[in-house]
Amino acid sequence: MDDWQYKPAGDHGLKHEESFKSLRREVGLLGTITQTAWRLAVRGYLRGYHRLRVDGVEHVPAKPSFVMVANHTSHLDALTLAAALPWPLRRFAFPIAAGDVFFETPAVALFSAMMLNALPMWRKSCGPHAMQQLRDRLLSEPTIYVLFPEGTRSRDGSLGRFKPGLGMIVAESEVPVVPCYLHGAHAACPANRKMPLPLPLHLRIGAPLTFGAVKNERAGWQEIAAKLEAAVSALRDAGQ
Amino acid sequence: MHPVAFWIAAGIAAGLAVTPLIFLILDKTGKLKPALRSDLWTRYKSWLVLAPLMVGPLLAGRLAAIIGVGVLSLACYREFARATGMFRYRAISAVVALGILLLTFAAADQWYGFFVALSSLTISLLVIIALFADQPKGYIQRVALGIFAFSLFGVCLGHYGYFANDKDGAGQAFLLAILLCVELNDVFAYCTGKMFGRRKLAPQTSPNKTIGGALGALILTSALFATLVHAIVHGSALDQPVHLVAMGMLLSLTGQWGDLVMSSIKRDLGVKDLGVTIPGHGGLLDRFDSLIFVGPAMFHYVNYFLGLGLDQPVRGITGH
Repeated sequence: MDDWQYKPAGDHGLKHEESFKSLRREVGLLGTITQTAWRLAVRGYLRGYHRLRVDGVEHVPAKPSFVMVANHTSHLDALTLAAALPWPLRRFAFPIAAGDVFFETPAVALFSAMMLNALPMWRKSCGPHAMQQLRDRLLSEPTIYVLFPEGTRSRDGSLGRFKPGLGMIVAESEVPVVPCYLHGAHAACPANRKMPLPLPLHLRIGAPLTFGAVKNERAGWQEIAAKLEAAVSALRDAGQ
Repeated sequence: MHPVAFWIAAGIAAGLAVTPLIFLILDKTGKLKPALRSDLWTRYKSWLVLAPLMVGPLLAGRLAAIIGVGVLSLACYREFARATGMFRYRAISAVVALGILLLTFAAADQWYGFFVALSSLTISLLVIIALFADQPKGYIQRVALGIFAFSLFGVCLGHYGYFANDKDGAGQAFLLAILLCVELNDVFAYCTGKMFGRRKLAPQTSPNKTIGGALGALILTSALFATLVHAIVHGSALDQPVHLVAMGMLLSLTGQWGDLVMSSIKRDLGVKDLGVTIPGHGGLLDRFDSLIFVGPAMFHYVNYFLGLGLDQPVRGITGH
């Protein structure tokens, strides 16, 4: 620990509704309480209702920062990936969520910020600036991103193409990226369903990859996306 | 309700009703620049929300007032913690919050012994809890900031909650008189500073404050508060010119010092405002900074010379 330094909260000086959407938002005592309550409830729900099984927990790095990526078929995905983390790591987890769904109205943004600890990704207007902010945060403080490189929920349950944007966050860095595959979420709660069915979930966590040697430019980003897509799809096939 | 409390509340309501007229007259005579005018209106609109939020709980009774003070203490600590970075030290923050909750409980219970004990107990716990992180680097700074925050926003502000307990209703009237005079203290300093202020009071700390403003506020606020206290404690041991003047001056000085303390904190942190809660004012602390030292000063002055019944065991919740 360094000498004491005054360092205001990353979202200091922003109005409440703006601070919910801020990529530099930091949680205080109140947020810790609401998020802990939420995590306990989600863990109970996933274990009880979906009989969640997790393989490969040993692949999860012992300390932040790192990134978890997975296939995306359902709103259950981010909850499950965050819940699969060992308890001491969970408060560092930030699901990267679609801004136009999870941060559109103030009430939903409040929920996403205070319960889910989500950070917004604005799909239509996500410039390099936002990716740079995410990268800075990942490299400068203990942070775990949970993100879905397909960019949207797969409507038929199959694995879509990984978008290269993720590469901007991890290229030329030693931050591990942990590939995961979640079985059963498409059957339990597909995109067109509101209430989940009580079907089992099975999460498979793979060995982490790092991309320190991959150039932080378009070709490198595409290479990273392709490698991660292959890793996730290998986990899918290993589970059958 | 204490009759003076009623008249102060009525006076605040009347003042808020008349203020727009004053603005309009100033505006018509061309004395307001557009920037100043919009600033004044923003502040005024905030006061329309703040004043009922502050006066309402005081009028609603002792429990509402005590809970209101507890919420204010927690909100002030939150703002301070987020501006300094203290919020990242969750154990220390949790102990400060716990200390504030217990102070609120002690006030509600009218258990003065516990209220007093909480200073040393919470400070001890802060010093001890910070050990468990096993990070000696920065230990003193972290603990000291926690104690600093607890002393200011917990113990000092907490006196307002305990003040609300005073049995014959004088506490309520005192609290309203203090609120009114502390806020007007700022206004008086601003206005007399504009008119007579030349020499800076503390240019490094707060460049806009002048000696003229400080003296003007001292005179006007002392006179107003002495008049109000005279009405509240009429015929008692405190109703003597020397006490009335002393209390008036004490209120004005501690109020101005509270303001300067928060300016120092902001300068040290390098932030303009400590929050964004109140449009036109900044954060809660930017508005309530002047109250911090007035509460304990008035509470103990009244208790020493008049008595607030603190030596009587009451303990409505934990007693028997």
